[in-house]
Amino acid sequence: MRLLGSSGLSAALLVLVTSLALPSCSGPEPDLVVYTAVDQEHAERIIRKFQDDHPDLVIVPVFDVEANKTIGLVDDIRREAHAPRCDVFWNNEIANTIALADEGLLAPYDSPSAADIPERFRDPEHRWTGIAMRARCIILNEDRMRELGATPEHLPDRFMDLLEGDWAGHGALARPLSGTTLTHLAVLYEKLGFEQGHALAERLYAANVDGELDLVSGNGPLMRKVGDGQAAWGFTDTDDFNVGRIRGYPVSRVFADQGEDGIGTLVIPNAVSIVANCRHPELAKEFVDFLLSKEVEAMLAAGDSAQIPTRDDVPRPDHVPNLRDVKVMDVDWVAVGRNLPRVHEDLKKIFLR
Amino acid sequence: MRRALVIVAALVFVALSVAPVVAMALRIEGDDLAALADARIWSLIRRTFVLGVAVSAGCLAVGVPFGFLVARTNMPGARLLRPLAVVPILMPTLLMAMTWTALVPLRGAVATGLLLVLSYFPLVAIFAARAAERIDRRQEESAWSLGGLRAALRADLGAILPPALAGACLAFTFAVNDFSIPDFVSSIGPKFNVYADEIFANWNQYERPGLAVASSLPLLAMTCLALVPMLALRRRGAFAPLASSFQRPGTLPLGRWRWPAALACTALVGASVIVPVGRLLWESTGGPTAWRPEAVRLALVDPEAPPPPVASRPTPMAPIPESTEPPLSFDERVSALPVIAGRQLTTMRKGFTSAFQRAREDLVRSLELGAMAAFLTALLGLVLGHAAERGRARSAVLLAALVPIAVPGVLFGIGTQALWDSPWLAEVTGGASTRFYTTPTMAGLLFTGRFAAFGILIVSGAVASAPLVAEQAAASVGAGPLARLFRIVLPQVVGALVATWICVFAFALRELDSALIVTEARRTAIVRVFNGVHFGRDEYVASLALLLVFTILLPGILWSAFAPRPAEVLP
Repeated sequence: MRLLGSSGLSAALLVLVTSLALPSCSGPEPDLVVYTAVDQEHAERIIRKFQDDHPDLVIVPVFDVEANKTIGLVDDIRREAHAPRCDVFWNNEIANTIALADEGLLAPYDSPSAADIPERFRDPEHRWTGIAMRARCIILNEDRMRELGATPEHLPDRFMDLLEGDWAGHGALARPLSGTTLTHLAVLYEKLGFEQGHALAERLYAANVDGELDLVSGNGPLMRKVGDGQAAWGFTDTDDFNVGRIRGYPVSRVFADQGEDGIGTLVIPNAVSIVANCRHPELAKEFVDFLLSKEVEAMLAAGDSAQIPTRDDVPRPDHVPNLRDVKVMDVDWVAVGRNLPRVHEDLKKIFLR
Repeated sequence: MRRALVIVAALVFVALSVAPVVAMALRIEGDDLAALADARIWSLIRRTFVLGVAVSAGCLAVGVPFGFLVARTNMPGARLLRPLAVVPILMPTLLMAMTWTALVPLRGAVATGLLLVLSYFPLVAIFAARAAERIDRRQEESAWSLGGLRAALRADLGAILPPALAGACLAFTFAVNDFSIPDFVSSIGPKFNVYADEIFANWNQYERPGLAVASSLPLLAMTCLALVPMLALRRRGAFAPLASSFQRPGTLPLGRWRWPAALACTALVGASVIVPVGRLLWESTGGPTAWRPEAVRLALVDPEAPPPPVASRPTPMAPIPESTEPPLSFDERVSALPVIAGRQLTTMRKGFTSAFQRAREDLVRSLELGAMAAFLTALLGLVLGHAAERGRARSAVLLAALVPIAVPGVLFGIGTQALWDSPWLAEVTGGASTRFYTTPTMAGLLFTGRFAAFGILIVSGAVASAPLVAEQAAASVGAGPLARLFRIVLPQVVGALVATWICVFAFALRELDSALIVTEARRTAIVRVFNGVHFGRDEYVASLALLLVFTILLPGILWSAFAPRPAEVLP
């Protein structure tokens, strides 16, 4: 009885609330588990659309976290290989998906929805299919750039402008330890050779130490930094640029290295795949058919992420480019995926000291 | 019976809190340890250690005076400032970083240190305030009669310093393990890397979790170096039982220093609570974009019209036509204020609606998981906290209790994952362990294991200050161990149990590091905020962050408002 004073009553109430919470912490058995490294805000709209069409299904989406982009879920799929939990892996890039395919962790599926997706975005063995792309791009703060004397003809338009020429000292880059900036550097290592790639990374680090280059924690913060005018320009992804545009920042976009000698801009497709020995293969196929449809590519293009459709005939807003108008970097994704651990280790040694 | 209860509670504690750490350690391979020989690692450790010491010193410098002023003096506003100062340790540090970097161009090591002080000074202030209240009136009066105010303060400082140092040790532990603030703050000029960066990057290393574990060993040692003296200091200071003849100390008059002291304390609480929450509120209204010149002009011409769309810039750096509009005057801006403010309120309402709709499930899940962890921790705390204080193996239990909080969150998550989702356990249990790992309950157990130490430490402190004689008297009239625990001990430690519940609930809701690893813990509100920061939609993120802060603080506010007995983190 001593407990049932006011304090005791309140304590009992806390216990009651907790007890009510406990049973709801177990959930119903899922019908489909989707792992996705695509930004949560973009991906869940698409998944919700599928859920609306299948209201009786329990669909469990598992999102990656920004700081761990592309790597966390890939590691989960590897670790869970003894008893896969994931049915469909919707990756926001392709190198790690190819690595998973090479390790035998993905199941082949020739989706009818993929028939009109260009061949270069499809695995010949049907273990993955690319859709809706992001491109690396330069984001300019027009107000700051005007102060620096930029004109339509005189702009930062190469990756090396971060380090040399008129625009060095005003640019920014996300720290290349995760996400697409890591992929970007990994591709440059592949293009230049490991030694040259290492030298380039060392130069980026030295520029940061000298106060000549901002190294931001991610592409989103970089967009904000350029949008606010704290940096005049920087490299980010087209989806982050579009969010800056919508927010009303005085920003514009340039695709890098488009000149005759330029290597083109890096374009990174999402990759959709079914996990080998997954628990719900039939529903997984149905969901993959849905993801690879033109309808979803159009939704991703029209959404805030402004993703670039792989198919020319998918409708898109004016601000979403067509790849026919852009010089795209030619990338050996298999080689990039294979070398990624070594490159990551090297970058960590350079940028974490 | 009593022994059985303690053994069961100890087994649960070992399974949830200690076993993940052991499982984590087992992943280390020979090559992983070799990485510790790298000079780069030791440079990071040195920097992190210096940061931790600087933050602890900063917390002491502001926390001790703050704690003393709000607890013992006639400073105006002390009753309000004291509970408000608890808010920073309950708020995710990521929010502190987000809001302050948006306001001030401070970056790098200095900014990191300052923000960490703002986040963790309450640890020192809480300890100092409680110690200041436990000084016997007669002791203070004797000092006063011998040497006036100066002598009294010197005597008080001797009583306050040990528990305040214990708080500083805790602040050190939190500071050296913090990833959010250094990562978010240091982006201009030379990057200010800390050791938590290294662990996080190593966790991302492909199929080499042992590397992350190995690289955490120096940080673990550093944390233990701070936590072990913390145990001794808190016992010597705050937890010494009060004598039965104890006389509560009087309120010290500050004279002409009343208002300057109030101003300084308000500034501190303002910087650590009001500025972050205020900035989030401002951002939830659309922030500066609501005051774009074209939006202001349209508001003056047509108050009913929606804000104009943002002009698209299809051609980079294309010449902008010369504006024929003169710059907006101050009067014009003032005239537009009602319309713009109305729009901002609409934006805020939309932001909150959107945040609630999109994050409802995550918020509810966070709430459920937090409540589950808080309840289980309080239960474990009652049994093990009492056993730790009254039993024979006190030091061993308290040291074991430190294990899960000494380990970086990411590592604790890796250990939990390695333990519960391992192929060998799946084989032994016929796949049941894997199925269990994929239920939300696993996330609740993750948080329980991570924060069980708080229950044990808080309750053991409360038991330490409770007179043993009551339990002895009950035993002498034949009350069994369980009856003594629930009928004698429990009523005396209700305040500590409630404090445990509130603290663990808050810490579970703001826990990010370990949640990044365990799949089911990733579907929580703080993870959504973390991802939303990247997404860059500030109204939405600000609204969601405010919802989260409100949810975190709600149990504490409700308890303070309606319960007659305070929640007691310290006796």
